[in-house]
Amino acid sequence: MSELILQSLYSGLLAGGSYALIALGLALVFGTMKIINLAHGELVLLAAYIAYMAESMLKINPLLAIPLALIVVCLASVIVYFLVSKIVKDRELNSLLLTYGVGIVLTNAILLIWKSDIHSTSNEWFQQSLVLGSLYSMNSEVTFFVVSLVLIVLVWLWLSKSWYGRAVRAVASNRDAAKLMGINPRWTELISFVLSGVLATFAGVALYSYGVIQPELGSALTVKAFIITVLAGAGSIPGVLLGAVLLGVVEALTTTMFSSALQELTGMLLFLLVLFVLPNGLFGANRRRG
Amino acid sequence: MKQYRWMYLAVAAVVLYVLVPLLLGGNLYLMSLVVASLTIGGIALAWALLGNLGGMVSFGQAAFFGVGSYVSALLTLKFGLPVLPAMLLGGVGASLASLAMLPALRLKGPYFALAILAYAQIFRILAMEFRGVTGGAGGLSGIPQLPTVFGFDLSAKVGGYLVILSIVVVFLWIYYLIRKSYYGLALKAMHESEDATRVVGVNSTLLKAMMLLVSAFMTGMVGAFNTHYINFLEPDYAFGSSWTVIPIIAAIFGGYRTIFGPLAGAVAIYMIDQLIFKNLIPNGHQIILGVLLVLMIIFCPSGLVPVLVEKFKGKTHAEA
Amino acid sequence: MKIKLAVWAIALTAGFGVTTAQAEEFAVGSVISLTGANARGGSGMHEGIMTAVEVFNRQQSKHKIKLVTIDDESAPAKAIAGVEQLASQNVVAITGGATSDLVGPASTAANKLGLVYITSGGTSEELISQGYKKFFRINNTSGYVHAMTGMFSDMGIKSLSIIYSTKKSTNELAVDVDKIMTAKGVKVTLHPFDPAITDFKPILNKVRLQDRPDAINMLGYENDYVGILRAAKVLKPNVKALVGVWQIANAKMAGDFPDLVPNVSGTEILPYPVAFSTAEGKLFETTFKALYHKSPDYLGEYGFVQSMALFEAIARAADKGSLKKGGLADEMRKTDRDTLIGRLQFNDKGDNPNFIQHIGQHQGGKIVIVWPKEFATGKMNFPGVPW
Repeated sequence: MSELILQSLYSGLLAGGSYALIALGLALVFGTMKIINLAHGELVLLAAYIAYMAESMLKINPLLAIPLALIVVCLASVIVYFLVSKIVKDRELNSLLLTYGVGIVLTNAILLIWKSDIHSTSNEWFQQSLVLGSLYSMNSEVTFFVVSLVLIVLVWLWLSKSWYGRAVRAVASNRDAAKLMGINPRWTELISFVLSGVLATFAGVALYSYGVIQPELGSALTVKAFIITVLAGAGSIPGVLLGAVLLGVVEALTTTMFSSALQELTGMLLFLLVLFVLPNGLFGANRRRG
Repeated sequence: MKQYRWMYLAVAAVVLYVLVPLLLGGNLYLMSLVVASLTIGGIALAWALLGNLGGMVSFGQAAFFGVGSYVSALLTLKFGLPVLPAMLLGGVGASLASLAMLPALRLKGPYFALAILAYAQIFRILAMEFRGVTGGAGGLSGIPQLPTVFGFDLSAKVGGYLVILSIVVVFLWIYYLIRKSYYGLALKAMHESEDATRVVGVNSTLLKAMMLLVSAFMTGMVGAFNTHYINFLEPDYAFGSSWTVIPIIAAIFGGYRTIFGPLAGAVAIYMIDQLIFKNLIPNGHQIILGVLLVLMIIFCPSGLVPVLVEKFKGKTHAEA
Repeated sequence: MKIKLAVWAIALTAGFGVTTAQAEEFAVGSVISLTGANARGGSGMHEGIMTAVEVFNRQQSKHKIKLVTIDDESAPAKAIAGVEQLASQNVVAITGGATSDLVGPASTAANKLGLVYITSGGTSEELISQGYKKFFRINNTSGYVHAMTGMFSDMGIKSLSIIYSTKKSTNELAVDVDKIMTAKGVKVTLHPFDPAITDFKPILNKVRLQDRPDAINMLGYENDYVGILRAAKVLKPNVKALVGVWQIANAKMAGDFPDLVPNVSGTEILPYPVAFSTAEGKLFETTFKALYHKSPDYLGEYGFVQSMALFEAIARAADKGSLKKGGLADEMRKTDRDTLIGRLQFNDKGDNPNFIQHIGQHQGGKIVIVWPKEFATGKMNFPGVPW
């Protein structure tokens, strides 16, 4: 039994790493603009499909598809920002609905272009198993866990140390004051969206490498990302990783100890629990600014 | 002015209750579309009511729809209740289920919206798991159809149409009454400033809860209707996300701040999508709906119908 | 008087001549999932149906089938509306239905309108207990179940783990396989999973450490198989066989995931490379390839078989003159012919009593039929796993 639990903790940890990568882009935009981009999952999926196209048509490693995917997904992300910025009033609510519409457009576009077949990487190395003691995983899972960690650290450093990063936080905190200080809020918001696109790209390529993709996956990804964002609490980057790992571990433990039919259920219950009991998320309270 | 209002309503009643069945009743396909669009319209109405009077946007109407469907189906199948009362109880069941969502009321906008989404998922999984009661993934079959009332067979297409039409009309009336009443006034004020109303002594949380119950009841009853009309019930279908999404698009299109808007939007969107878009892009015509939603939010967030009404009003004013 | 008779005779023969010179056209409706959750299964069946239209119209000139297709978008309400629309366009019958969820409502609608409905996507047991006189199907759940349990018996396994999706059809399969194998004295453990799951390592680990079965039965769809097989390759449970049901033993899986499928089996009627030995099979293959530029798979085969049976019945009923009087259902019931999936007949409930699946195993990039013996094209690799 303990072997089972250990393995599920390990699997959950790795899954959490990948979830964090998917959620980070959404959390970033939400933290800086208080906007939930409901099309985020579709952006991740778009990157995954581009990785598929690269691998199947050019026979290259999915990782090499990243430059092309970056261009496409960041462009899409900028378009979303452009649309959102056109909203006149009630931005919080209307952006929800607008991005939902964009999500529908993207999902159907993916369906039209790539049809409904499932796809995943055929790269051997990614699928090979990596055994640490009695803990099993695939190479791809460990690889992208590391990638996820690196990206999270980079983003966190960028937000806290770089000029642009601090500008983004300033705008998030108080838009008008930031303006007075000479920061152009539009630019920083645009940067947030672009960065979100970059993160979505990595998440998508990762998804293609360790998982199976199909057009309907977009909204499920967005929901997961949002759950993790809430778990983390607005504005906390390390919180995203911890929240994601928490979700991954809880899911894996549910499967092992009860039944995997209930896996989704525990995710939802965890989400509601945090919403009701800790409205600032697990770590949001630490970073509340005025 | 009021006289004209009554005239319009009377004419509308005649058209909807008499002319439509007479003229379109033979065309089963068209009638199917109308019934489906009215079903969506009912949900859109409930959604708009929750948004306008309760100030809460929900992304999980499917939760109430599903609960209403299952409650009504089970009451008729397992307990032998007659269909029409069971439908009412389906709505009540959905209201009771919404009580579980009360803690979510103090959440802000997007959090509430997505919390309700989580509830929809939870209900769906519960419906799958409690195999003994709900038939699990297989769902329930052999659900009784709408009955024959006063010699009129309601399970026929026209019958179904009249039932959903009546349900929707009653909902419109309830919406109108609430808006006019003291509660409506309080809710409107609350919308402007929750703190101010609290000072005056309005219990905002109680009012919000009541609106949630009403919205849940309406959506649940529509769900119950649908299950007896289609005779098909499964967790994925009953709690499917399209019962949430399409009413929202419809309500926004029709103008969710008005009473008739969501309904008009639902009929328009559904019919146009099925009759026109589907023939243009057979695979993935939903993409047009997505584009429509995006354009609506940017250019007329109050919906298309109010804009048209304004234009119409403007014209008559000019003439006067 | 004689002249009148003569004129009449000439007119009548001329009239006859005109009708026999022209082909009589029949509109057949197809309500099928081209988009939505069932898009994959629906499009596959659609391709088969279209191939049948092509083949049927080309091989004779007396009766011409015109197919009218409506996408039900994997939604029951739209399936019903689709059937109704086709009925208003006076089609003579309806074919289609990608999964049991859609076949239920669609066949009910067809029944209300008195239309013949034939499908290969309605495998649930409840569909034939509804008492619809004009409902027909060419395959059913028990055909799949008996293939798998038959092979398990021949293998002589003592313990079995069933990993199954909680979706309706796979759930049904799991319950049936469990019942039959337990009655044979085999220890069975059930592991249901939510269709949304992507990481199967926790389940496979439970199987590996707790169940320790002789064989694993995977009941799911393409994406589930990939997840399960990947997890199995990582954890390497000590099993002798991995047996899936549909969507696994085919060329697509062999081509897309060559490292995951060696020695994995699944239910499949024909081997790959598809070696159609009959004239009809060869004709089907060439026509399909000409239309779609790819090899046919089981979905296309089913669509083809169900449609050919329908078209032939229509032709017979038209010749007898009973088509317009509702005689199509009776003609359907007279069907008794050898098809790509074996002998096809319809009993009074509309079911195909002869339907039994075969088991195909991935061997060296090909699919070899390994069970039952009468249809085997090769020997079973047992024990056999992908690692």
